Amino acid sequence: MKKFFALLKVSVKSMLLTSTSAQGSSRKKAATGLGAMALIAFLGLYLSGFYSFMLMEVLAPVHMEVLVFIFMGMGALIGGLLFTTFAVKGVVFGGKDNDLLLSMPVSSTMLMASRVSAIYLENLLFSIFVLGPAGAVCAFLTQSGVGHSLMFWVRLLIAVFALPLLDTALSVLFGALVAFLSARVSRGALGQNIVMAVYMVAVFWFAFNVNGMLEELAANAAGIKDSLSWAAPMLWMAEGIMGDWGLLLAFAACCVVPFALVVFGLGKVYRQAVTAFAARSARNDYKLSAQSASGQKKALLMKEAKRFFGTPMYFWNSGIGLMMLVAMGVAAIVMQKDIQMFLGLMEGIPLMPLAALMMGLCLSMCAIAAPSISLEGRYLWILRAAPVGEKDLLWIKTGFELLLSVPSTVVAGVCISLAIQLPLWESVLLVAVMLLFSVCHAAFGMLVGLAFPKLDSVNETVVLKQSLAVCLGMFVPMGVLGVCSLLYWLGGMVAGWAALAFPIALLAVCTAVCVSVLATRGPAMLRAL
Amino acid sequence: MLRIEHYSKTYPGGKKAVDDLTIHVRPGEIYGFIGHNGAGKTTTLRACAGVMDFTEGTIAIDGHDVKKDPVGAKRVTAFLPDNPDLYEFMKGIDYLNFIADLYDIPAEQRTADIKKYADAFELTGNLGSPIGSYSHGMRQKLALISAFIRRPRLLILDEPFVGLDPSASHIMKGYLADLCRSGSAVFFSTHVLEVAEKLCHQIAIIKDGRLVKCGPTEELVGDSSLEDVFLDLEGEK
Repeated sequence: MKKFFALLKVSVKSMLLTSTSAQGSSRKKAATGLGAMALIAFLGLYLSGFYSFMLMEVLAPVHMEVLVFIFMGMGALIGGLLFTTFAVKGVVFGGKDNDLLLSMPVSSTMLMASRVSAIYLENLLFSIFVLGPAGAVCAFLTQSGVGHSLMFWVRLLIAVFALPLLDTALSVLFGALVAFLSARVSRGALGQNIVMAVYMVAVFWFAFNVNGMLEELAANAAGIKDSLSWAAPMLWMAEGIMGDWGLLLAFAACCVVPFALVVFGLGKVYRQAVTAFAARSARNDYKLSAQSASGQKKALLMKEAKRFFGTPMYFWNSGIGLMMLVAMGVAAIVMQKDIQMFLGLMEGIPLMPLAALMMGLCLSMCAIAAPSISLEGRYLWILRAAPVGEKDLLWIKTGFELLLSVPSTVVAGVCISLAIQLPLWESVLLVAVMLLFSVCHAAFGMLVGLAFPKLDSVNETVVLKQSLAVCLGMFVPMGVLGVCSLLYWLGGMVAGWAALAFPIALLAVCTAVCVSVLATRGPAMLRAL
Repeated sequence: MLRIEHYSKTYPGGKKAVDDLTIHVRPGEIYGFIGHNGAGKTTTLRACAGVMDFTEGTIAIDGHDVKKDPVGAKRVTAFLPDNPDLYEFMKGIDYLNFIADLYDIPAEQRTADIKKYADAFELTGNLGSPIGSYSHGMRQKLALISAFIRRPRLLILDEPFVGLDPSASHIMKGYLADLCRSGSAVFFSTHVLEVAEKLCHQIAIIKDGRLVKCGPTEELVGDSSLEDVFLDLEGEK
């Protein structure tokens, strides 16, 4: 067991506590990992708490609390699958340290188990943050008193620990399939992007239809529960949490058995699997033709684009905000009549600031510049040795985010302005302020990327999903939006013009500071890495 | 071509990796840099290439100060680290074009040079494949091709023979000699003393960050062998 825990420690450390820089102190490294976890936890708790509350408010009065746990269980399962399937490809089958560890005197089953356990721990966090708030909401809103007993929490705890086992088993199987296809298909990134696109369409569809579904739920909760027999394990988990120990044990067995089968089954062929998934032999049929030349800046921008569009993990983690931004604009045009009818019922809503807040939240999720230095990692020597100034390198990386975010912002801004029929000056102001925010976001992302780099991470998953730079690059701009909202409210108490002037002034100052610090200190920070 | 004057490098924590190093590499010279592991060879090469910052001394390449005019110095230099990691999301040909674009190499020249060097290293057929599918030796060859197509005034190589098959090593030595005949210079580190003895016009031996001996290969070796001289200076004989 000593060996197993040593291997597990290595896997978890490589996922969470990869060093920030060569000079980084251990305290700084630990703060980076813990800070990232705290921010992810905050987001998980917030989203789960919000949806659990919405569902429980509808279902508790008809004594169908069990449905909340079914849906939250499904949410945790699907969310965990989404987050860890691609991580499995990198952490379990594609770790850069596989050669080293496979040469060690430990069984491949133990190595596989340690890698899978690291994935389990990530899924466990997800399970805690999704099922935990559901339990808390149940304790407050239940009308049958089921959430008030100690045994309820014991049963919930068992479910919280068991569910990630099933999640991990499934994500390891899917991850193995993804790794296998990536090694065999020449356009693996395109395939992964298509799978993710289908998933995101489903998520958007759910988000747009959630209100109708809630109404249907309240009207026919019992019927819906009966129709969920195909998701028997989730049903058993929910009934188990609500008090049925037999079903809870059946659910636990449903989780433990697949996990054990995956660990011991794939563990026996782990060495063969890693070899097969890594075996991408180079073709030998290329015919050299006349090459064309382009400039330095175009070459560097093209490199950023190839990495962004050719790395599904990067594309979906960092591009989702922009997709949501454009989708929001298009949806506003498509649903123009519904929106105007809704707005007609709610007089006095400050439309432009509200639109700016929504657009800002989407833009905040577009962390393209923040991880770009860390993604260079072991390739950084190429740029350092190239005849390109550090300042140019930083502006090109920042500019690449702007190249994507500026057109998206303009499209979304114009669409939303048309849909909610803003006056021309407000439309122009909305687009201008959002462009200012885009510049601020990109420059700030670049700065946190330089301040908290992960240059020696074992794969891009670690950089994109567990780095402090990405978390700060997303959540600090959201915080700035929160402060802007506060200033809007405070300004409104002073004078009408101040309501808009105060938050715009804050954004302008933040942008000026970020751009100025990036221009003056950025090159030295890059040199010091 | 390369002037290293009183260069020192101290790492955070106080460890002095290189102490007061002065080396001059003239045009047309192949200059070997040898020393035991951790002697300060890689630190020096990385500082020359502008990849690593330093505080003491000056380094100039073809008249360009590495600190004051880093872009000018890098424009005439090609650097290859000991284990070159290349962008795995790119195809081999994309990487060569990327490097050629960074060095503003005209289209016709790059096409001709890529053909010349890729054919010589037997890599042309593989250039359409992603670098992620390359073996260690193929990556090493691609990195070398990317260095040669720049037609550098100074070529800095860190352990260039590691990972190359005997045939590729032989071809590389020929191109290094060609480069020097055209007036460029090569500054490289190696542990293969026989190669250094046969290939280099000048050799410098570094120990614990300090230069212990340097000069023309014939003078340095005399009637002995480079291995004997090296072991003698290292106090291991």
